[in-house]
Amino acid sequence: MTSAYDLAIVGGGIMGCSTALRLAENNMKTIVLDQGDLGQGASGVNAGTLSLQIKRVKLMPYALKGHREWEAMGEAVGFKKTGGYTLAFTEHEAELLHERQALKANAGAPIKFVSNNALRAAEQNLSHKILAASYCSEDGYANSSLTGQYYRVRLKQNEVEYREQCCVTLITRNNSCFELITTLGNIQAKRLLLSAGAWLKPIAAYLGVDLPVRARINTVSVTERMPHLLSSIVGHATGLLTIKQKTNGTILIGGGWQGRGTPEEGRGNVSANTLLPNLSLAQHVLPELANARVTRSWVGFEANVPDFYPLAGALPGIDNAFVLGCVRGGYTIGPYIGRLMGDFILGQEPELPLFDPGREFNEV
Amino acid sequence: MMRLIPNHTSQIKRAKEISFRFDGQTIKAHQGETILVALMGNGIKHLRDAPVDVKPRGAFCCIGLCQECVVKVDGQLVESCRKIATDGLVVQSLRQ
Amino acid sequence: MIKTCDVAIIGAGPAGANAGIMAASQGCRTIIIDEQAKAGGQIWRAKSAAIKSAPNTPETIDGDRLRASIDASNVTHIANARVWQIERELEKWVLRLIINGRSEKIVSKVLILATGAREYVQPTPGWTLPGVIGLAGATALIKQDLVIPGKKIVVSGTGPLIFYVASEIRRLGGEVSAIVTPNSPVDWMYAIPSMFSRPELLWRGFVWVADLLLSGTPIFWRNVIKQIDGETKVQSVTVSKVNNDWSPLDQKRLIEADSVCIGYGLQAATETSQLSGIDLKHQPELGGWVPEVWENGETAIDGLFVCGDGTGIRGAAAAEIHGKLVGLSAAEIITSNVNFPRSALLTSFRRASRFGMAMTALSIPRKGLQKLTTDKTIMCRCESLRRCDIEHQMEAGAATINAIKSGSRAGMGPCGGKYCQTAIAKLIAEKEHRTEAEIIPPTPRPPLRPVPASELSGEFEYTDLPIPKPAPL
Ligand SMILES: Cc1cc2nc3c(=O)[nH]c(=O)nc-3n(C[C@H](O)[C@H](O)[C@H](O)COP(=O)(O)OP(=O)(O)OC[C@H]3O[C@@H](n4cnc5c(N)ncnc54)[C@H](O)[C@@H]3O)c2cc1C
Ligand code: FES
Repeated sequence: MTSAYDLAIVGGGIMGCSTALRLAENNMKTIVLDQGDLGQGASGVNAGTLSLQIKRVKLMPYALKGHREWEAMGEAVGFKKTGGYTLAFTEHEAELLHERQALKANAGAPIKFVSNNALRAAEQNLSHKILAASYCSEDGYANSSLTGQYYRVRLKQNEVEYREQCCVTLITRNNSCFELITTLGNIQAKRLLLSAGAWLKPIAAYLGVDLPVRARINTVSVTERMPHLLSSIVGHATGLLTIKQKTNGTILIGGGWQGRGTPEEGRGNVSANTLLPNLSLAQHVLPELANARVTRSWVGFEANVPDFYPLAGALPGIDNAFVLGCVRGGYTIGPYIGRLMGDFILGQEPELPLFDPGREFNEV
Repeated sequence: MMRLIPNHTSQIKRAKEISFRFDGQTIKAHQGETILVALMGNGIKHLRDAPVDVKPRGAFCCIGLCQECVVKVDGQLVESCRKIATDGLVVQSLRQ
Repeated sequence: MIKTCDVAIIGAGPAGANAGIMAASQGCRTIIIDEQAKAGGQIWRAKSAAIKSAPNTPETIDGDRLRASIDASNVTHIANARVWQIERELEKWVLRLIINGRSEKIVSKVLILATGAREYVQPTPGWTLPGVIGLAGATALIKQDLVIPGKKIVVSGTGPLIFYVASEIRRLGGEVSAIVTPNSPVDWMYAIPSMFSRPELLWRGFVWVADLLLSGTPIFWRNVIKQIDGETKVQSVTVSKVNNDWSPLDQKRLIEADSVCIGYGLQAATETSQLSGIDLKHQPELGGWVPEVWENGETAIDGLFVCGDGTGIRGAAAAEIHGKLVGLSAAEIITSNVNFPRSALLTSFRRASRFGMAMTALSIPRKGLQKLTTDKTIMCRCESLRRCDIEHQMEAGAATINAIKSGSRAGMGPCGGKYCQTAIAKLIAEKEHRTEAEIIPPTPRPPLRPVPASELSGEFEYTDLPIPKPAPL
């Protein structure tokens, strides 16, 4: 049996791995466990949009800091700062756009409204039916497929242990230690961080804690390589579309249209009922997409709680146990909030406040 | 030379000839055959350059799986091993 | 347009077509879908419209017989249709397919997957050159359009397919420069007893080989193509002897050629099975990964069956009988008065399987064949990734096909990994001293084939799009 770790992290997504890296700076003996490959969850299958225009107002300071982290991670995660447009096609959408983006600009995002002419000059291939558009120069994307490989390398460099294909099936507590029963043997740790994304609920339940975690089943699609069509990332006023063309020419289409399945049952399934309108909307925005062949569509589970704010802090009622997850726009914010979480675990005051997992949750 | 397997070439009757354009070149084809077969009949095998290393590629699986044989017709990438050549069709290779 | 039926079948080869005919004969409303223009599958692929007349072959005769029985049955055969997605919705199967450039929907109570096999080709230096095609690909050209891929053709690979292709090339007036196979005459001697169950095929094989010998076509037994040479087209192949595990030896021989047909055995095409949610298991004697299926075609999932080579490589004769058996199993879900004696079918299925599996055994690549893939050989054709690129991923910690795929894009190109995932799995197994059974295939993703976005969405009005309510501010 392995000697006790200072901290065991359950879940090797962006939350778990970024926290682990922060802790490694302080010589905490940490191990990251994942039931599959690192980054196989939401962190490795998301659309990779790093957009301030789709962040919640209250999370804007975190997202702004997150953008700095991504910039630093750079090429290794396929980071590109392209700037991004958000488009409205109807009066109603234009209203929504103005109302929402103004609030986000107030919260510190460098968002401005742009004229149709300016938009067309920048992006010739977008639809001519656009009524209003906003622009944020900070926006861009990273390649989420690289998440797992990025953190494997970084964890190794920082001498943080990780174990893949290692599913935690039970957690018990004796004396001052947690005992994790896993498919690759038992592990003891003085502290525990639960960062199992959409799988948080059953894991917290091992410790008798009921977290109100649910999952959305977001769909993403990609086309084969296309000639250059788009320079910036593009979104829709409702938030229900993201399009970006990668440097290799493939076009990624997201927007959070809902597939089928539950995290417990496996990886979830694409539903044609939502995929088809998702692709139609994308073609409405970028008509040239009509000719692009879609090569792959998939879904990923994005966890949330009823108020759609993060769980980030102490696990209620359990000493030395922590939880980090359910962050909307968590790919963008992950590297930063993981750092805050690390500080919190180290007993230091985080730069920005965390989100108490023991709070009352009100449905929005 | 003695052969146990007869040569059947003279007994094969093909449909009437049509023609289409491939990268500006006129290609004769039999009505009903795929673009790939017509191109092969004209000795053309190099259909595209691979996107990453820009090396020549041509048909490989011949049944619509590998995507090595794609060409452009009407702005759309199609598998030349499945797309039937029609008279006057304009086909573009993905050679660079 | 939405069509509904009792039994939907994907694949109109010997297995799927017979399953359909059988299910329809028991009163089920049955639809068979296939991406080819005519039924017959790979083995009995029909001639294209470009062929007005041509001498018959055993394949055209069997194929015509099959097509006639479909015509005579109540089966609805939807041709030129590509299924791109399979879903379970309200206890029914929902298939999405592209027909005439439009996405359509078929809803069925029972689904039978009969999607056959795909070929394995060990990545070899030069295998991406124009003029190198799969052995299976060669059979498609030969059967559909009666054409051959070149003037000086080297036919190479394992099992019986090389002799079939070589002899068809000769029948179509071509020249076979050489046959290169790692199999030895002794391998074949061992297989012959299990071939006595199909004397007509044994005889046919004998004629192929005798004709090739008479014509003076060189047959290099216990040899492999080590390299295909040329800059923009095939100029020659470098051939080398192999040892017992088919590792190529150092000594070399050059053969001039303008094209190469190459293949190292078949594998079950498992994408539809995976997409439908069936677990896979690794059975080398059946060609590798196969879906978990009982002999009657049943799976652990309600209303889902698999038949033919899609369950493992047992060959056409077995597939035909398996189709009938599975058609009966499927019909039993729809109607209670299925009435057909099964024991004779089962006996002949098992006999045919023995023959088919003996051919599979000859075809299965042995370990040493992997050495054909050198450091700089392209493994993922779509993304031009070489073995060293894949190994680089492994050195950085990626230990699964999914992890390598995420890190490098191997398998993310338009073929969807069909032509690299097995070779990459073999490489991981070798490097990590694990068995191939431990290297889980990558997660399947729809669409099953690349589909133009416009064909998926069809015509639409913006205002009709069911755009959900925006997320909370
Ligand atoms: C399809 C999709 C698109 C998205 N697009 C964007 C976007 O464009 N921009 C953006 O900012 N955000 C986006 N998001 C949100 C973002 O991806 C997530 O908020 C973020 O990645 C969550 O990280 P995580 O580490 O909490 O979860 P995950 O990445 O899901 O990590 C949880 C890990 O825990 C492991 N695990 C679970 N149970 C166990 C167990 N018992 N034992 C061991 N390990 C276990 C899992 O295998 C998994 O690796 C998207 C999400 C999805 C799903
Ligand atoms: S040759 Fe493989 S898809 Fe056409």
